[in-house]
Amino acid sequence: MRILLALAALRSHRVRTALAVLGVAVAAAMLLCMVMLSAGLRESFRELLLARGFQLRLSPRGTLPFDTEATISDASTIVQTLAAQPDVVTVSAVLGAQLHVEQGGEGVTTFALGVNPAAQGDYELLEGRDAKAPDALVANDAFLAAAGARVGDTLTFAAGYDPQLRSFSGERTMVVSGRARFLYLASGQSAVALELRVLQDMTGRAGSDEVSLFMVRLRDGADVEAVRAWIQEHVPRVDAISTAEAMQRVDERLSYFRQLGFILGAVSLIVGFLLVTTLMTVSVNERLGEIAVMRAMGVSRLHVIHQILLEGLAMSLAGGIAGLGLGLVTARYLNSILSAFPGLPEAIDFFLFQPRSAWTALGLLVLVGVAAGIYPSWRAATLPIAGALHEEAVA
Amino acid sequence: MLLAALPLFFALQAQLRTVAVGADLAADAGIAVGDTVVISARPPAGVGEEGVPGGRADWPVDSVVVSAIVERRADPSEIARNDYRVRLHLDQLERLVGYGNRVDRFAVGTFDSAATEQALRSIEDAAFGFQAHRSRDIAAETSTTFAVVSRFHRAIGVITIVASAVFLLCILLLKVEERRRGMGALRLIGLSRRTVFSTVVIEAAFVSVLGSALGVLVGWAASAAVNAYYQSFYRTPLRFSIVTADIVLFAVLLSLVLGVVAGAVAALRLVRAPPLELIGR
Amino acid sequence: MTPLLGARDLRRDYRMGRRGEVVQAVRGVSLEVPRGDYLAIVGPSGSGKSSLLNLLGAIDTPDAGELSIAGRNVVGMSDRELTDFRLRNIGFVFQRFYLLPVLTARENVELPMAEAGVPRAVRRARASELLAYVGLAPREHHRPTQLSGGEQQRVAIARALANRPALLLADEPTGELDARTGEEIIELFGRLNADGTTLVVVTHDEELASAARRVIHMKDGVIVVPREESPTRRIERE
Repeated sequence: MRILLALAALRSHRVRTALAVLGVAVAAAMLLCMVMLSAGLRESFRELLLARGFQLRLSPRGTLPFDTEATISDASTIVQTLAAQPDVVTVSAVLGAQLHVEQGGEGVTTFALGVNPAAQGDYELLEGRDAKAPDALVANDAFLAAAGARVGDTLTFAAGYDPQLRSFSGERTMVVSGRARFLYLASGQSAVALELRVLQDMTGRAGSDEVSLFMVRLRDGADVEAVRAWIQEHVPRVDAISTAEAMQRVDERLSYFRQLGFILGAVSLIVGFLLVTTLMTVSVNERLGEIAVMRAMGVSRLHVIHQILLEGLAMSLAGGIAGLGLGLVTARYLNSILSAFPGLPEAIDFFLFQPRSAWTALGLLVLVGVAAGIYPSWRAATLPIAGALHEEAVA
Repeated sequence: MLLAALPLFFALQAQLRTVAVGADLAADAGIAVGDTVVISARPPAGVGEEGVPGGRADWPVDSVVVSAIVERRADPSEIARNDYRVRLHLDQLERLVGYGNRVDRFAVGTFDSAATEQALRSIEDAAFGFQAHRSRDIAAETSTTFAVVSRFHRAIGVITIVASAVFLLCILLLKVEERRRGMGALRLIGLSRRTVFSTVVIEAAFVSVLGSALGVLVGWAASAAVNAYYQSFYRTPLRFSIVTADIVLFAVLLSLVLGVVAGAVAALRLVRAPPLELIGR
Repeated sequence: MTPLLGARDLRRDYRMGRRGEVVQAVRGVSLEVPRGDYLAIVGPSGSGKSSLLNLLGAIDTPDAGELSIAGRNVVGMSDRELTDFRLRNIGFVFQRFYLLPVLTARENVELPMAEAGVPRAVRRARASELLAYVGLAPREHHRPTQLSGGEQQRVAIARALANRPALLLADEPTGELDARTGEEIIELFGRLNADGTTLVVVTHDEELASAARRVIHMKDGVIVVPREESPTRRIERE
């Protein structure tokens, strides 16, 4: 009976109820977006880091991977040291540099990764052959478009380019053996990958055996933190960063968005709360006579409270469900704005939908709906019956 | 003897070179102006010993005097960086890190914009292997991040305004509906539809202006709180939020427009209903 | 025989206005209502008759005095006890009907039974029965806005009888009705009383007052003319 009464009361003022549900829906949409923002970046980044199964990344001390131009020298010695750790399955050394290709009289500059193709975790081969020969490299679509090249073409790459003299240095002829998708690069960023030794040679780093980064894959079930600590002790020139720590560091860099998400989410809840509580208070004020008669009839205070709380809850639930769809659309729009961040890997999403996000948002709305009904329901339940009847008669 | 050693001590101090350290480093490490510190490019904790991969046994080590503590710039690009900054004399840094006679860039100051253009051309004509860039061109290139953030903020702002508009409309409709009986009674005693309509709209306008004035105060306080928090969190003098006169004016005007529209919609519903229906008969 | 309702020296004051002036609405009223009685309380506006009715119906608490209904002392009961007592022992009918507009006539009648925990099938059947008793069987699925004033008052009476109360209290039940409709309600009250329902009504309506077995007159918070029988009833009886 109480549910019937609650729904009937809401239906009896359609416009008012519809507006209130719309208001709650907008608040719910914003809340869902902010919950997705808080969780999305972390989850998205974590999935990206673990995409190829490498749990640890070693970068020059005090830097994040590819954050600066700093390098690690004596890479081979470090690889040997790491290989002695029983939990280490694969070590992939990576060097980052810039290469240039002449195109139409101008130099086309591209980001280049020097890798061990047999043990790399930076790209997925889409077409052709991997860069397993000294004169072979793979390229992404952005580079192929910029250079006007195709798989199978032979191009001359240079490590140095003087824009004034328009001259190249450190040149080497390479064949584009395959087309690849680079996992950690921003969309539209031009990139190629070739053998590590070849890139070291071209950039004059062969002597010092420099690399930018090591990626380390551990055996299943290995204690990542224990291995990290071992590496830190035995290779103190590097920072060993686990997936969790990498996420934490990125979190710190982008903590602003998480906090913004929290603040806006809280504001959405407050707005939703105010809306529902105002509507319920007005609704109760209009029905004081009815409520007084119900109390006179013998309806208990508790049941009056239930009644009013049900109405607030129904409104919040309806608004929450309506806001779900609106929230997903809004999140997609906001994600498209933030995806334009320079240097952000294409695979990263700021707003990642997980069912948990929806349940969290809905749960919070339910709590708010109940809380919003507390004052009006208390008011209704503690109404002095005779006084209310008298005032209604006078009115 | 101690007194005799003092001049020697001060003479030695005078020979030490000076550095400026960042305020956050000074606070965290307990460094004050006048302190003597040891600097090196050597990584900490046992490196530099023989047999350790990549270690150098001969990293240069210098003692320097802290001559200044430098506050962070209000540079948005630095807010998320937790690294400490130390400023040294160029030749000293080159020696410490083993760069040789190398730098990352030159910064060139000119008298005016005409001089900037002339200097740009001269440098590009005369120098090989590097390019000269106007500062504003670099700023434009590196401001992409903030363009993205600005767009994001604007989108959030629009969404918030839409939500506020719906909320305002809902609340005003409710408040006007609450006064149905009173308005019905006024109509019954002879007040015209126009009078009732304008009464409701004027009331809505007042509520909107008063509410927006309160909102400006709350917004100003929130802005101050945001700045205080983030300046402390990121250890930066950067201002994250500002409340300007045109922002206030925009907010108040928008509230007024929304309030008047909401009041008009609510008033229309009221004046269209027969007075007897309004008083519940 | 123990009266169904016994009130002794009931008092009720109200504080009114900004200065909190005290109005003595009920000043030391004592009365007894035997089971099966039909009592009318009449008096000018402000005489305290509605305030007295509120006290008799346990929807207001006296500042002093004793009140027993159906053998139970209601003064001093907690709110929960009073609420439950009203639910099972007292029915109310008001001038303004106070039907819930979102429910049908039958659902309005079911409401007190639902509160008392009566199973759905049972309360539906009884609600239909009560509506038939008051002459509204064909209208049980109509909402209050689709009913006339008299029909709404009949539904309110049916609702008041839902839990078979020992006592039915009515405050100006014909106040918002035209004369003809009022007569129908008066006739219904007579039928109720003849069927054994104890009635106490507060009214300005002379017709209604004269239909009662007993009439008491109130003025300034006290019973002024305790009449045992109205002249009409005495003649009928004789």
